[in-house]
Amino acid sequence: MEFVQAVIDGLLIGGVYAVISIGLTLVYGVMGIVNFAQAEFVMIGMFVAWFAWAWLGLDPVLAAPLSFAVAFAIGWVVQGHLIARVLKAPSVAQIFLTVGLLIVFENGALMMFGSQFRSVTTSYQTMSLSLGPLFVSLPYLIAFGMSLACGTALWWFMRSSWFGRAMRATALNPSAAQLMGIDAGLMYRIAFALGVGLTAFGGAIILPYATVSPTAGSDYVVLMFTVVVLGGLGSVAGAVAGGLAVGIVQALSALVFPIQLQNLILFLVFIAVLGIRPQGLVGASR
Amino acid sequence: MKRWMLPLTALAIALLLPLLLDPRGYWIRVLAFTFLFAAMAQAWNIVGGLANQTSLGHAAFFGIGAYTSTVLLLKFGISPWIGMIAAAGLGGVAAFAIAIPTMRLQGHYFALATLAFGEVLRVVANVWTSVTGGASGISVPFSSPSLLTYSFKLLRPHAYVALAALVIVTVIFEIVRRSAMGYRLRAIKENPAAAEVIGIDTAKVKLQAAIVSGMLMAMLGTLYAQVAVFFDPDTVFSAASISIRVALIAILGGIGTPVGPILGAFFIIPLEELMNDWFSASAAGLSQLTFGLILIAVILWRPRGFVTLFKSLSSRFGGASA
Amino acid sequence: MRGKSSIASFRISRRSLLAGTAAILASPAVIGSARAAAKSINIGVIQPLSGANAQFGINSRNGIELVADEINASGGIKALDGAKINLIVADATSTPTTAGNVAQRLISQNDVTAILGAFASALTIAISEVTERRDIPLLTMSFADQITGRGFKNVFQVVAKASVIGKAQFDYTMAIAQAAGSKIDKIAIMYEDTAYGTAQAKGLRAGAQAANVQLVMDEAYPLGITDTTPLINKLRASGAQAVFPVSYLNDSLLLIRTMRQQKIAIPAIGGAAGYVIPDFEKGLGEFAENVLSVNTSNYDLSPELTERFRKRFGYFMVHEALENAVALDVLVQAIEKAKSAKAEDVAAALRGATFTGGWAKAMTGGAVTFDQTGLNVKSVPLMVQWQKKELVSVWPKEVAKASAIWKS
Repeated sequence: MEFVQAVIDGLLIGGVYAVISIGLTLVYGVMGIVNFAQAEFVMIGMFVAWFAWAWLGLDPVLAAPLSFAVAFAIGWVVQGHLIARVLKAPSVAQIFLTVGLLIVFENGALMMFGSQFRSVTTSYQTMSLSLGPLFVSLPYLIAFGMSLACGTALWWFMRSSWFGRAMRATALNPSAAQLMGIDAGLMYRIAFALGVGLTAFGGAIILPYATVSPTAGSDYVVLMFTVVVLGGLGSVAGAVAGGLAVGIVQALSALVFPIQLQNLILFLVFIAVLGIRPQGLVGASR
Repeated sequence: MKRWMLPLTALAIALLLPLLLDPRGYWIRVLAFTFLFAAMAQAWNIVGGLANQTSLGHAAFFGIGAYTSTVLLLKFGISPWIGMIAAAGLGGVAAFAIAIPTMRLQGHYFALATLAFGEVLRVVANVWTSVTGGASGISVPFSSPSLLTYSFKLLRPHAYVALAALVIVTVIFEIVRRSAMGYRLRAIKENPAAAEVIGIDTAKVKLQAAIVSGMLMAMLGTLYAQVAVFFDPDTVFSAASISIRVALIAILGGIGTPVGPILGAFFIIPLEELMNDWFSASAAGLSQLTFGLILIAVILWRPRGFVTLFKSLSSRFGGASA
Repeated sequence: MRGKSSIASFRISRRSLLAGTAAILASPAVIGSARAAAKSINIGVIQPLSGANAQFGINSRNGIELVADEINASGGIKALDGAKINLIVADATSTPTTAGNVAQRLISQNDVTAILGAFASALTIAISEVTERRDIPLLTMSFADQITGRGFKNVFQVVAKASVIGKAQFDYTMAIAQAAGSKIDKIAIMYEDTAYGTAQAKGLRAGAQAANVQLVMDEAYPLGITDTTPLINKLRASGAQAVFPVSYLNDSLLLIRTMRQQKIAIPAIGGAAGYVIPDFEKGLGEFAENVLSVNTSNYDLSPELTERFRKRFGYFMVHEALENAVALDVLVQAIEKAKSAKAEDVAAALRGATFTGGWAKAMTGGAVTFDQTGLNVKSVPLMVQWQKKELVSVWPKEVAKASAIWKS
C-alpha cells in the first residue's frame, strides 16, 4: 500500500517536474543553449500568478496562461537582445551569460517585489481525494492535469503547426531550414520565448501548494537539469520521461532511505543512467 | 627574453603587493582570496580549458581537500602540509572515480553530471556528522602561529602562500599545455574522432588531466581551510560559490590560456567586493544585481575572455605573442 | 566721497568681523559642540540582504534602524557628548567567506566600534573569526552552540543556545499538554538539514530522551525540498501524537498544508524561524490558528517598545528584529558605561555585565547578562501560539499573556 501511495505521489509530482522542465529541453533542442536562468521563470510565473490572485482574484491555475504570456514576452526580449548575440560564441560563454541572467532576475525580483514569502489561499489547497487508504492531493492532481494538457498542447504544436515543424527543422539543420525560407533567428526567438513561457506556466500551476519569493527558482535549478539530462537533452518526450522518473525515484527512495538522502539517491541514479546511456533515457544515440 | 618580461614583472608586482598593503587590513584579505581563486580557476583550466571538459563539479575536490586536512589535524594532530598531500591523494582518487562514469559524456551532459557529483559529496559531508561535523561545520583547531603548523596571525603570510600556489599551478598548467599530453588534449579538443583514429587513447589522456586537476584543487582546499578557519559543507562543496565561480573566472579571463584565470580572478573578486561596498547598503539585492548586469555586459563584450583584449592589442602594436 | 566711506566702512566692518569671529572661535563651548556635532560613532550592521535569508536580514536591519533613530533623536550617546550612531550597513550575502571580507572591510575602512550580525550561524561564525582577531565586539542573535563555545572573548549572543531552544520546544510542549490533561508518549521530529535545524533537533532529542518519550519518527529533510508528501506519509504511518517541525518558511507551509490534506490533526509545535513570521499566518490563513512554536523572544512582552516597530514598518516586531534591537541598545549602554567608542573598552564593558532598562527589558528575563563565554544567561526560550492572527506568548506562566489552547 505504501508502495502504491508512493507511486501515485511520484507520478503526480513528476508530471509537474516535467512541465517545468520541458521549456529547458526545448531551448536546448532548438538553440543548443543550456539556459541556467530557466528556473528563474518558475519564480516569474509564480509572481505573475500571485499578483493575478491578489489583484484580480484569479485562481493561479486559471492565471497560468497569463504567466505564460508574460514570460513569453520577457523571453522574446531577452533572446533577441542578449542570447542572440552569443549564439556564435563558445558554448561556455553562452552558459555564463545565462548565469548572469539568473543573478539579474533573482535580485531584480528582490528589488521589485521585496523579500517576503507570498502564497495564495485557495479552497482546494488543503483538500485531497481519498481512494480507500490512499490520499491523492487535490492541488497536485490539478497541477498534474494541467501539465498533461500543456504537454499535449505542446506536442500537437510541435507536430502539426507550421511553427512547430519549422522549429524542429531549424533544430535539425539550420542551414537547410534557411534555404527552405525559414528565418532561423525568428525560430530561435520563438523557441526561447516558448520555452520560458512553459516553465512559467509550470510555476503558476504549482503556486497553490508552493510559496513564491525572489529565490523560489533556485530550488528548481538542479531538479530541472536532472530531469532534462536524464531524459535526454533536447527531447520533449525525454523531459516527460525524466520528470516522471525523477518524481518516482524521489517518492520511492523515501520508502527505503532517509529523506535527507533524497537528492543523493537521485543524483546517483542520474549518474548511473548516464553511465549506461550517455544520451539520456530517450535521447538519440550517437 | 621579451616573452618573459611581462610575466616576470607581474610576478614582481605580485610579490611586492602584500608588503605594500596594511597587514591587518581589508585589501590584503581580498588579495589573498584573489590569488587563491586564481589558482583554483587555473586548476580547473587544466580540465576546462585544455581538455575542453566544462566541469561544474570542481567543488567536489575542493571540499575533499578542505575536509581531509582539517579532519587529520583535528583527530590526529597531523600538520596541514602533510594533510595537503593526503588531500591531493584523495582528490586524485575522487577525480578517477568521477571521470570513469562521465568519460563518454558529451559537453553539457558532462557538465551536469559533474554538478551532480559535487552535490552528492555535499550531501555526504552534511550527513557524515561523525567525521565532518555535519551541517554545523568544522573549525581548524587553534595553534600558535608558525609556518610548520600553517597557522598565521596575520593575513600577509596567507597571501604569500596563495601566491606561491598560484605560481605553482600556473607552471603545472603550462607544463601540461606544452607537453605531449597537452598536444594530445588539443587534438582531442579539435576533433575527438580523428584523435582516436590516429591512436590517441582519449580516455586515458582525459583521465590524466582530470587527476592532475583534481589533486591540485584538493590541495587548494587545504589552503582555504587554513585561511577561513571555519567552514561547512555548504561553503566548500558549493555549486554556486565554488564550482560555477571558478569556471566563470577562467572563462571570463580566457579559457585555456595561462593568464586567463588570473585576469578573471583579478576582475571578478574585487568587482564583487566593490559592488558590495558601494551598493549593498542602499537597497537589498542591488549589489548583486549590478554584478549580474556587469557580468552579462562583459560576456557580450568579450565572449572569449579578457585575454582576447591583449591579443588584439599586441597584434595592433606588433610583437610576437606566445 | 562714496568710495572713501564705503572703503572705510568695509574696513571697519571687516575688522569687527574678524574680531567677532576670533572671539567666537576662541569660545570653547562652540569648539566643543562643533566637534561633538560632527562626531558620530560607526557601528557595523552585517546582515544577509540578498539570497534566501534576505527577509530575515532585512527584518534585523529594520530593528536596528528603529533603535538607532530613537537614540539619535533623543540626543545620541550622552557619555560621548551626544555623538550620533552611524550605522554602516552591508550585505553579508549567503557566502561565509564574503561575510568575513565584509567584516574586515568595515573594521579597516569604516573604523567600526562594533558589529551586529548576521542571522545565519555560518555567516556569524565566519564574521567572528575576523572580529575576534581584531578585538572588535560582535553582537548576534544567531544561536548555534559553537558561537559561544570556542572561548572567544568578543562575541556576545543575546539569546539562548540552539540545544537549549530545542529542549525547551519539547519540555514546554509536555508541560502545556499536561496542563490540558493530555498524555504524550510518542512524538515525531522533522527538521531541515542545515546547521539550524540539526542543532535544534539535537535539543529536541535530548528532551525526549530525558522524559522517556518515544521518538517514532526522526527525519531530516533537505532545505529547499519541493515536495513534503513522503515526509507526511511517514508521519501518518508513525502514529505520533505530536510533531515538532523545525523549518524555514517554504517548508513550514508545505508541511502544514500537506498535513491538512492528509487530515492529520495532531498538534504541531514549530521551531521558530518560519513558524513565527507574519508570512506564515498570511500563507495559511485559518490553518495557522493555534499553531504553537518555540521562540527566542516575543513582541508582546514589551508592547510599549515593540509597537513602535509595527507603526513604522507595518508588521509585528519579529524576533530577529527585536533581538537585534536589544543588541544595539545593550551595545549603546556599554558605550555609555565605558565612556569610550574604542572597541576594546566597549568589549570590556560588555563582558560579564548586566544591562537593564531600555530595550533590554524586552527580552525574557527582563534584562541581559553576558557570562564569560558571551552568552546572555538571562534569555529563556518561550512558547508562542498563533491566536487571532497574532503571536501570543503562552508559556512559561511567568511570561504568558494568554493561556495555551491545546487541541489533541
